[in-house]
Amino acid sequence: MTPDVFLFWFLALLIVGSGLAVLLFTNPVYSALSLAMTMVGVAAIFITLNAYFIAGVQLIVYAGAVMVLFVMVIMLFDIKSEVQAFTSGKISGAMKLIAVGLLSGLIVGGIIMGQKSFVGELSKDAAAQVAEANSAKMKRAAGADAATKELGVALFTKHIFGFEALGVLLTAIAVGTVALARSRGGTHAK
Amino acid sequence: MPSSSFLTDISLNHYLILSSVLFVIGMAGVLLRRNVIVILMSLELMLNAVNISFIAFSKFTQNVDGQIMVFFVMTIAAAEAAVGLALAVAIFKRFKEVNIKFFEHLRG
Amino acid sequence: MDHSVLMAILLLSPFIGFLINGVRYKQPTYKLSGGIATAAVFISFICSVLLFSDLVGLPADQRKIHVKFFEWLSVDKFKVDAAFYVDQISGIMILIITGVGSLIHLFSTEYMHHDKGVTKYFSYLNLFVFNMLILVLGDSLLTMFVGWEGVGLCSYLLIGFWFTDKEKAAAGMKAFITNRVGDAAFLLGMFILFSTFGTLNIQEINSLAPTAVETSWLGALTLGTMFLFVGATGKSAQIPLYVWLPDAMAGPTPVSALIHAATMVTAGIYMIVRLNPIFIVAPNTMMVIAIIGALTALMAASIGITQWDIKKVLAYSTVSQLGYMFLAVGVGAFGAGLFHVMTHAFFKALMFLGSGSVIHAMHEEQDIRKMGGLKKYMPITHWTFFLGWLAIIGIPPFAGFFSKDEILWMSFHSPMGSPVLWAVGALSAGMTAFYMTRLMCLTFWGKSRVPKSVHPHESPAMMTIPLVVLAFLSVVGGWIGIPEVIGHTFGHIPNYLGDWLAPVIRPIPNLAPADHSLEWGLMGASFGIASISAFVAYHFYVKSPEIPGKIAASIKPVYELVFKKYLVDELYFKTIINPLVEISRKIWFYIDVNFIDKLTYIIADLIKGGGGVTRSLQTGNVQVYAMYIAIGLVVALSIIIIK
Repeated sequence: MTPDVFLFWFLALLIVGSGLAVLLFTNPVYSALSLAMTMVGVAAIFITLNAYFIAGVQLIVYAGAVMVLFVMVIMLFDIKSEVQAFTSGKISGAMKLIAVGLLSGLIVGGIIMGQKSFVGELSKDAAAQVAEANSAKMKRAAGADAATKELGVALFTKHIFGFEALGVLLTAIAVGTVALARSRGGTHAK
Repeated sequence: MPSSSFLTDISLNHYLILSSVLFVIGMAGVLLRRNVIVILMSLELMLNAVNISFIAFSKFTQNVDGQIMVFFVMTIAAAEAAVGLALAVAIFKRFKEVNIKFFEHLRG
Repeated sequence: MDHSVLMAILLLSPFIGFLINGVRYKQPTYKLSGGIATAAVFISFICSVLLFSDLVGLPADQRKIHVKFFEWLSVDKFKVDAAFYVDQISGIMILIITGVGSLIHLFSTEYMHHDKGVTKYFSYLNLFVFNMLILVLGDSLLTMFVGWEGVGLCSYLLIGFWFTDKEKAAAGMKAFITNRVGDAAFLLGMFILFSTFGTLNIQEINSLAPTAVETSWLGALTLGTMFLFVGATGKSAQIPLYVWLPDAMAGPTPVSALIHAATMVTAGIYMIVRLNPIFIVAPNTMMVIAIIGALTALMAASIGITQWDIKKVLAYSTVSQLGYMFLAVGVGAFGAGLFHVMTHAFFKALMFLGSGSVIHAMHEEQDIRKMGGLKKYMPITHWTFFLGWLAIIGIPPFAGFFSKDEILWMSFHSPMGSPVLWAVGALSAGMTAFYMTRLMCLTFWGKSRVPKSVHPHESPAMMTIPLVVLAFLSVVGGWIGIPEVIGHTFGHIPNYLGDWLAPVIRPIPNLAPADHSLEWGLMGASFGIASISAFVAYHFYVKSPEIPGKIAASIKPVYELVFKKYLVDELYFKTIINPLVEISRKIWFYIDVNFIDKLTYIIADLIKGGGGVTRSLQTGNVQVYAMYIAIGLVVALSIIIIK
């Protein structure tokens, strides 16, 4: 077993385990901590996939900013461990579980079955591409710096419109959030 | 049955299955938890799961567009978390309540 | 000026007047509103005169001014243009409509000045003139039908103008519904003509009309013209659809003068005259028209003798005179019919306006039993009415004499006529003389029966000027159509009207040359009948007023029957209207309420129940919605994978 393989299985177990912990902990603080753990795991997975820059952003934005936001809110609410963490309603609960279970089964089954068809071909193509790219591209753009540079060029040329649109969106969100925070109960205002 | 090659050859499928499992866990959280904040966390889990598959595809097709998409998703996820939490705070301030069930009263 | 510009001004001027007054319909400014409306119609009159003089300037066989504005409808082979044309027939009609129309507008300005709705009134009146011009000028039957419906609408609006009075509103509805029956027949006639000729263009139909005579009752031409004639009986108040016209007197008196005497009610005759080439080849239709016309003339005249309301008398007189016109076109004398349309427009408009003047002076009193001796108080009204009276009873050389005499002569002389038709016509002429003299005597002559509280006075100049102008026309209007027999005797006075109309009127087939001595004899006979009955009436109502009452008492059942208008209204109610109402009620109850309504209720209940079920899915619980999404995903994925 090579280190790569070991790393993948280790991280996969970490992510799934901490993901389940988010779901199962009744105390929101523990859930939030498990979520942070998951985020870090995902960032590590990104690194194994050579997406160094994205992994960094993941750590800063998710594990940093978003998690702080969550923890802040939990602190604000002063929430203790909940007596009833899950929704009541036996029938709807059963239906939800069945739906989730079926969905997971279907997705995993679909991926494995699809190996022979779509994904399989893609893998072969990808393998061929990798083989081709390995010879030329990887030598030219070896290392984290080159990959990040490539990402930056694509972001500011090919996807510049989406990038600008995101900027507008973030501005709108910032204004909206402030407005929400200042409001005194919306339509129920006295 | 997972053969030994399944355990040793880490292919695209492994990442996809990891992604889908994480997605389903997040979904179960959204469906089953009562606390709005935990539901928002579960949403983040789902978005992360999608990000994993994006990056995996990007790597296995040597296409940088997947990473750009992840970049966008992250931005929007952060925005969504900000708005969602702001809403939760506003409602909590008014009604002292974080149970999603309580939000039924918001319908007309 | 260019003809299309003239035509556009002619048509649009009243319409613009309608728009201006229609927008400011609540203003009580009678002078301004009346001024706008009168000016609008007068501009049309000037355009009509200009067009007419251009028409006169053309060579006799090319007298036609055709203006096409745009293509209105185009469906496969069916094409209708928004096109209008002036020829010899419509030229005369537009002169009558706009000329008499502007006089009546002028009269109305004073007559209506007390009324709050005066601006609305004038906007309706202008709209009427606009529609009447479309009716007259339209170059296809469909265009004519637009005007035909438009004048019907305006007639309805103006009859029910004082709609707060329930009876008057009902009179308006009666006119509208009765006309609707006729209009349906008119439509059927148009369908038949279209399927026969493949066009609705009047000129094309006229030129396509076969020269052969159609004798079958069920032939396309006979049926088509018969339906058109039924349409005409609606608009022109003939048996069996005449019942609305006497009730239409509920409207303001100038309206009665313009719409229900001078112009709209002659639309039926005008339509037949304009389509004369197809009517002349359908002798069965012609026969029916002549008989209906003669019967209407006789019946309406007899009712007119018994009425006490000044406007009702004039209304039955109008119906009777319209009967004359139909008699004329029925025997093929289209020119004579149109001639009578013209002279009748003059003297009947005059008499209606005169009666309006009287009613105005008597403070809305219409019962002639409460009048009498008005000559003293209202000299101008009296003298103009007197001239109208001379014209209608047929005293030479007043207008009515020439046209009426020509009709009577043709009803005897034409191969489609007969001595019986002449006799009926002459009898109604006598009755006309009788009831008109009676009206004169009871209103203007004899002892005054005016109540003490009422002080009659002459009307202001704005009302008397139209009277004087119309009186002048009633005197001289007949001179353009002096019959050949008189003109010949007095040194070759030409029959201008006859010559003018000759190119557009098909001659009567197999017309024998006129026997002048016979014509003189019949003329003398009808004149004699008229003057004797006029004298008798004068004797009855001025010299010895007790005689009519005695006669009426001695033949009480007959008198009652006539006085109650032959119970035709009651008959219609019994045989048509009440059964229809009953059937509708039954249909409403059994089909509408018990079937259709129930069906819709059941459907509504089902949907409501279904809504209740699906509403329970919409709990407002966000997580349940998310579950639906998840289930949807499961289903969609299953479908993809199973495939």
